[in-house]
Amino acid sequence: MADLTTIRVRLANNLATIPGLRSAAEIPDNPTPPIGVINLESVDYDGAMQGGLTTYSFVVTVIVGRAAEREMQRKLDSYCQPTGSQSVKLAIESDKTLSGEVYDLRVERSSGMGSITINDQNYLAAEFTVTVLA
Amino acid sequence: MAKFVVTATTVTMGGDDISTACARAELVINAAEVETTDFGSGGFTEVIGGLKSGTLSLDFHQDFGSGAVSTLFLDLVGTVVVFTLVAGNGTAAGTDTPLYTVSALITSFTPVSGAVGDLGTFSVSFPTTGAITYATS
Repeated sequence: MADLTTIRVRLANNLATIPGLRSAAEIPDNPTPPIGVINLESVDYDGAMQGGLTTYSFVVTVIVGRAAEREMQRKLDSYCQPTGSQSVKLAIESDKTLSGEVYDLRVERSSGMGSITINDQNYLAAEFTVTVLA
Repeated sequence: MAKFVVTATTVTMGGDDISTACARAELVINAAEVETTDFGSGGFTEVIGGLKSGTLSLDFHQDFGSGAVSTLFLDLVGTVVVFTLVAGNGTAAGTDTPLYTVSALITSFTPVSGAVGDLGTFSVSFPTTGAITYATS
């Protein structure tokens, strides 16, 4: 039986393999960009008999910095690439079983690129949808 | 016994518990219709029950791990295998969780299936051979 907290932590660990990007398994009060935050969106139970498959849907929010800075847009672009050293998809999928904790995972899409407001500050951010089978 | 939502049918194949790889299980028991219509049937057809037969249909999540369901199926096509199913979300035979035992001919196995992004799955449907039995204790 997979442990949800362990899944969060190991997703954050995978994300942190991107040079220069912090990661947080739980939502921080005051995130310091650039940072990727792991948020659990939904859990689908009973995908197989006797609890044989649970599907977790995570949204990883990557916050890069002040929305007004042009450099931040380029940084966000690099995080959204499907490949490369800055690719969020590649980093999260670098260990698709999270050290044996889950069956498989996939970063399905990135979306919502734009500004978000945290503590009255505008930041540039993007969301990555991650499906985890456990 | 109350009405129930199916979440935990117990399925074994050749003695191996494959329940946690199984997403759907269905056992259908049929009887052939043998027509006995004659001039005395009053203009309607008449039938009696003939030979019984069964069909076992299962949906699985593909898994080629050691001892996992896909690996178990690899060498079974063309052979007869004993399956057991405990209905009613049970793990053992009981009055509310009947245990069905069938022998089925493995007529096909689909080791490769699925489009990009899909969960790897496969479905099977086998004819049973011999008697289908059930027990409640």
